[in-house]
This record gives sequence, C-alpha cells and structure tokens, in this order.
Amino acid sequence: MNCDECSLNRLLYLDGALIGQKLEDFREHLADCSLCREHLEGELALSCLLREARPLYLAPQALRARISAAATEHATAVSQASVCSHETRLQNVMRSLRDVALPAFSLKPLAVMTLFLVLSLVFIPGALQRVRAAGYVEAATQIHRSYLNGVLPLQCRSRSPEAITAWLAGKTPFHFQLPASQSAPNGKAFYWLTGARLVSYKGSSAVLVAYETPTEKISLLIASSRSAVVAGGAEVRAGGLTFHYRSGANFEVITWSNHGLAYALVSSLTGSPQHSCLVCHQNMSDQNLFEH
Amino acid sequence: MTFPREKSHFLSEVLDELFDGLYAYAIVLSRDRTEAEDLVQETCVRAVQAVENLRPDSNVKSWLFTILRNIWLNQVRQRRTAPKIVELDADESTAQIAVETSKDPYALYVSKVEREQVREAIQQLSGQFREVIVLREYGDLSYQEIASVLSCPAGTVMSRLGRARSKLRSLLSGSLRTPDRRTKGATES
Repeated sequence: MNCDECSLNRLLYLDGALIGQKLEDFREHLADCSLCREHLEGELALSCLLREARPLYLAPQALRARISAAATEHATAVSQASVCSHETRLQNVMRSLRDVALPAFSLKPLAVMTLFLVLSLVFIPGALQRVRAAGYVEAATQIHRSYLNGVLPLQCRSRSPEAITAWLAGKTPFHFQLPASQSAPNGKAFYWLTGARLVSYKGSSAVLVAYETPTEKISLLIASSRSAVVAGGAEVRAGGLTFHYRSGANFEVITWSNHGLAYALVSSLTGSPQHSCLVCHQNMSDQNLFEH
Repeated sequence: MTFPREKSHFLSEVLDELFDGLYAYAIVLSRDRTEAEDLVQETCVRAVQAVENLRPDSNVKSWLFTILRNIWLNQVRQRRTAPKIVELDADESTAQIAVETSKDPYALYVSKVEREQVREAIQQLSGQFREVIVLREYGDLSYQEIASVLSCPAGTVMSRLGRARSKLRSLLSGSLRTPDRRTKGATES
C-alpha cells in the first residue's frame, strides 16, 4: 500500500470499517511511514475533539416537551376505541403544532410561544399539564441514563435510609424523608438503597435516589411539585395514589405525586405497570395494592 | 387514517434518540436557533403524519434527516433569499440541562470552550462540508445514509468528508492534542 491508498483508507479505518487484508496492508504501511502515522494521529485527535464537543447543540427542553406532548397525545389517540375520534384528536394536535410552526419564521419567538400556549389551553384540555409532565419524565430518563453511564456519580453512598435522609437535610428546598427499606418475610431484600445525589430540575435542586435489585439499577427522581408535574401515561391507582406509567426509550418510568413532591421512578424493567411495581412489592405486606 | 401503535411508538423512540442530532443539523442548515426549532418541529409533525406509510425495511434515521432537509430546501426556495446569519451562542443558557451539573467547574469550562471552538470551526466550513460533518459526527449517519439524505453517491460523501476534516484539522490545529487524547473507540481493535 502506498501513501495515496493509505490516505483513501484512513476514514474507513477510523470508522472500524477497514478489515481483512486491507487492514493488514494499512497497518504495515503505517509501521513504515511516519508521515501517514502523523496524518492518522491528526485524524484521531480531530475525531476525539469532535466527539468531546457532543452534543454540538442541545435541543431546548421546551421543544422536546412540546413534541413529546404531541407524541403522547397521539399515542393516547391510538389506544382509544374509536378510530374516527382518534383521527380528529390527532389532527387537532398536529394542527395546533403546525399552526404554530408555520408562522414561526416571521414572528418573534415570544409571540409564538404565547400563541402556542393559548391555542393549547383553548383547544387541548390539559395540554399544559401533559407538556410539563412529559418534561419531567424526559428529565428523569436523562438523569437515569447519565447515572448509568457514570456521568452522575452518587454523592452519598449508603444503604441506610436514615443516613441518606440526614445527608440531604438542608440541601433541598423541600423536606424529604426516605422510608425504611422493606424486606420479605424471610428477610431477603428484593431491592436496596445504594445512595443519592443532588441534581437540578428547572433551576431548583432535586434529588436522585439510587436503588438496586440483583439485576437492575433503578433511580428515583424527587422534585417539588411546584416545578414538576405528573400526568398522562397508563394510570394505576393504589394506596390512595395515582401512578402514571410510561414505557419508551428503553426505560420504564412511573411517576406519582404525594405531599407536594413529584416522584419519577426509572428502570429498564419491562412489563405492565402492575408488574413493574410488583418487582419490589411482590412479597410485601402491601402487594395486594398492586394486584388488580 | 390509522396509525399502527408499534410504528408510532418506534418513531417516538427514534425521535427521542435523534433529537439533538436533528437540532444540530437544523442549526447548521438554517444558522438560526428559532428557525432550527421550527424545522425540527415541522419534521416531527410530518414524520408522525407519514409514519403509517413507512415500509418495515425503511431507514428511519435517514428518512427523518431527509424530511428535515427537504423542508429547509422548500423554505429557501420559497423565500428566495439568502439565509440570515445570526449569533448562535446568544442563548446558550437555555440549552443547559440537569446533567451538566454533574461536571466540575473546570471540566465544564474546558468542555464549553472546546465546544465553542468546534462550532466556530464548523460554521467556517462551506455548506456542503458542514452538512457531511454534522450528519456523520453528530447525526451518526453512515456514508450510505448520508448519501441517501444528500441524494449523491457514497463516494462523493467520503470525498467531501475527507476534505471537510482536513479543513477542520487546519482550523482547529490549536485545540488538537496528540496522541494522548486518543480514545479506545478510535484506535485499533
């Protein structure tokens, strides 16, 4: 292989698409050619820099929430009985988005947002609630993903709810106390606490509490109900609370609110809402609450 | 008109994954945040409307980027004016998310500076080069997928990408550090 051929194969090599004899020839040439090695090092450094600049631009949360709300509305329409009414609802939602999207090229962003909000509130009952709820689910999923990837390491590691509660004291704008762990009658734990950290949600402190099962990492995002709304999804009522269950983007998310706090439990567990709850509650005294 | 639940659900997941990539591509095309948002939104609207017509073997990723590009091209044709160029980093704060709070201040600063340098360098590339770089590096599209979006041969994509990278290396020479910054993924397996 000469330098020209080496140059042509460089991109394929960087993508891991160079294989077999061509890869052997490429490596052989590199071993003998300092100039091509230098070029390759430059390409590797560039790839590294470009990768570190990810994401190049972050899509605004409001945009995500807007589209997520439309998708939720659409999914709801699909799951209901009347095809005709689905079309109408879906078309209404898409039209409301489109009505905003088209003039946006000529109007100020503030005017567009105001128009969107007014239209949503007038034509789509509960749209604002669903948009905010979708935003909370999205944030909880992102935070869980970052926790799994090691981007959000736990700031306090403990299996003791009391220790975590003590560590959190004074760090959040809301009062929060972790309940004691529950065990099965035989003493075997189905899940356990691993720790917690502070995160930010809509500019306020929120708490990420991490749990584990023998096979699974689970995170619980806790934020004030003033900034986080729970709504939508498949609803399960248990113990006087309403749980909202969503499945998607490789994660299952269950949200609920209680005593002024909004909770979002994120895991990779698959199955029905009841099944997800029963993973932890299957042998506990409150299991009957989830078996409907 | 009915929407198969699986397709709709699948599209929702794909959109979630590609959201930042689509937004970056929209910014590269429009060079305006507000227009970029509208482009992404319109893309999603059209995708949801058209998802029922998708064949099972369709490449959803390149389909979405193609929709976005076509919307943009149509708008440019309609306006028949050159796209305006505005300061892109004016509302950086609006893009902050909770995840960012995990980094230490120095890492955040370095990351922000490098990202700004990369953005500036990419903005200095010609339109054709900008597109291939963003689709490849930030949209994670293969050469074939980029060729499909741009309606050109894969060889042309590779050629443009090679030249775009060469230009970027030159523009970013001050920021490139070798060889300690290599990552495992880019080295030999």
